[in-house]
Amino acid sequence: MRKARLDKSRRLVDTIYRTLFQQVPFNVAVIDRDHNVVNANDNFTKRFGDWRGKKCYNVYKKLNQPCDECPSAKVFEDGNVVVADDVGVDQNGKETHYVGHVAPIRMEEGGPVEYVLEMTRTVTGTKSWQQEYQILFDRVPCYITVIDREFRILRANEAFRQTFGDKQNQHCYEVYKRRKTKCPNCPAAKTFKDGLVHHSQQVGTKKGGEKAHYVLSTSPLARGDKEVIHVIEISTDITETKKLEKEVVDAERLAAVGQTVAGLAHSIKNMLMGLEGGMYITKKALVRDDKEMLSQGWDMLERNFDKTTSLVKDFLSFSKGRLPELVMVNPNSLVNEIIGLYQDIAKSIGVILVADLDPKIKDVPLDPKGIHTCLTNLVSNAIDACQMSDKKDCHVCIKTKDTKNTLTFTVVDEGCGIDYDIKSRIFTTFFTTKGGKGTGLGLLTTRKIVQEHGGKITVVSKKDEDTKFTMAFPKKRLQTLFKKDSAE
Amino acid sequence: MGKKVLIIDDEEDIRNFLIELFKDNGFETMTASDGIEGLKLLKDEKPDLITLDLQMPNDTGTAFYRKMHRDEQFNKIPIIVISGVAGKHLAIKKPFAIFDKPIDATALLETAQNAVDENS
Repeated sequence: MRKARLDKSRRLVDTIYRTLFQQVPFNVAVIDRDHNVVNANDNFTKRFGDWRGKKCYNVYKKLNQPCDECPSAKVFEDGNVVVADDVGVDQNGKETHYVGHVAPIRMEEGGPVEYVLEMTRTVTGTKSWQQEYQILFDRVPCYITVIDREFRILRANEAFRQTFGDKQNQHCYEVYKRRKTKCPNCPAAKTFKDGLVHHSQQVGTKKGGEKAHYVLSTSPLARGDKEVIHVIEISTDITETKKLEKEVVDAERLAAVGQTVAGLAHSIKNMLMGLEGGMYITKKALVRDDKEMLSQGWDMLERNFDKTTSLVKDFLSFSKGRLPELVMVNPNSLVNEIIGLYQDIAKSIGVILVADLDPKIKDVPLDPKGIHTCLTNLVSNAIDACQMSDKKDCHVCIKTKDTKNTLTFTVVDEGCGIDYDIKSRIFTTFFTTKGGKGTGLGLLTTRKIVQEHGGKITVVSKKDEDTKFTMAFPKKRLQTLFKKDSAE
Repeated sequence: MGKKVLIIDDEEDIRNFLIELFKDNGFETMTASDGIEGLKLLKDEKPDLITLDLQMPNDTGTAFYRKMHRDEQFNKIPIIVISGVAGKHLAIKKPFAIFDKPIDATALLETAQNAVDENS
């Protein structure tokens, strides 16, 4: 009875063993010390073909001698399980990738390893996917590096290696930027800290020494919710784009220079012709000894000389790229200066020039010369506008106003007004409605000075209606400029 | 009776210069400071020759030419462009001549004479 029960249980163990041996989803083979395949399951046979009486290297790889690195030999040697990863040839002659365990078989506990059990799984599909991934990693037109928490480059793709060199294990800041220390505002450091993707624009140095501009995004590589172990840095090179951008800016600048020069040349040619006329008439007067004609010729010379002078002056003050020289001044006294300067001229042509000053105004930091130029330009425009209209007793008023945040100068005239088409062009180079009398630089210079003070100039006008030019200066901005100015 | 020249230029000094120059050489002169005035004089005075500036406030030289050219009475009058602008050779279809500012007085007078001789 007892023996029968024992037989039954042994039979059960045998059956379980055989079923397991055949049904386990692995290629299973048993190898002896001499590389002979002594047993294998159906999966193995299906994959690698008939094995009976053959050596393992012959079955797995269709070789005639043992492999260079034999995992089984290691197991026979030290008796520990080995994880193996290898490429063989299946019974149809096709390359096949497999991974698996090689375990020792001892016939007695504590005895020598007599056989090894090789349990492998075919991973050819996974491998080809990995290869595709590798190609993608290398060929994508971006620089890709994987860095660890020490900022050392663990992996780099082909594009990166070609551009920055093969610099595995070096610090990313050394390779990308040739720095000795971590970059300030390092986006990878941010990603290590918060686990988020960060984007930034960077400038690095290629292996040949040229500059590389790139847009970088750093992404975390983490296992589950644990801390970020690696960061993957992906950059797109925008050096070419940057170059094109610069070319466009340069071309625009050149075009602006060309336009300015053409405008300047036109003005100068007119003045030269005026001088030519003056010379012609003066010469004629001298020949005829005609005093009246002489004074006409002289006036022409003088007028055109003055015009040339004021064009050059305006042009210089316009092209000068300086910061305003700020000193504490009373805005009202600046206005009074202008009134004093223009009152008589205005009166002589029937224009009434008045001031409307804010009595509570305090001293503010302004560039007196600059503001003087602005007010001169605005007031002389206003007087010209009055002259161009038929109105009698045309008024021009200069106002000052000091509010909590802003200081404003306003110049209002009752002259001819500005129509819509002209208003859109008054701040462009060499635009003038005054023919040869204007340089087309006055308002442009005015706007430039106002902007250098951190202010804004605006105009409200319609044809045949009042015109109001307002220069508004934020007081905070003036103070900031003033502090900066005094600090230098 | 000298030939009549209409001088159109917005610069007074240039107008005065051309008046003297043409008068001294036997022309009769009349002047306009823009295209609008120019058209009026064209109709009233029927000049034999026109000197035309291109860039002027109010009405440009090109606009003046376009209006003048539409009128068969006037479109045979020779025009000498006197201008400092770049691209002045493109502004008007068939000018008799083009002069840059400042002008070569001798050459201008010679050209003006040829223009009126050819047209009479």
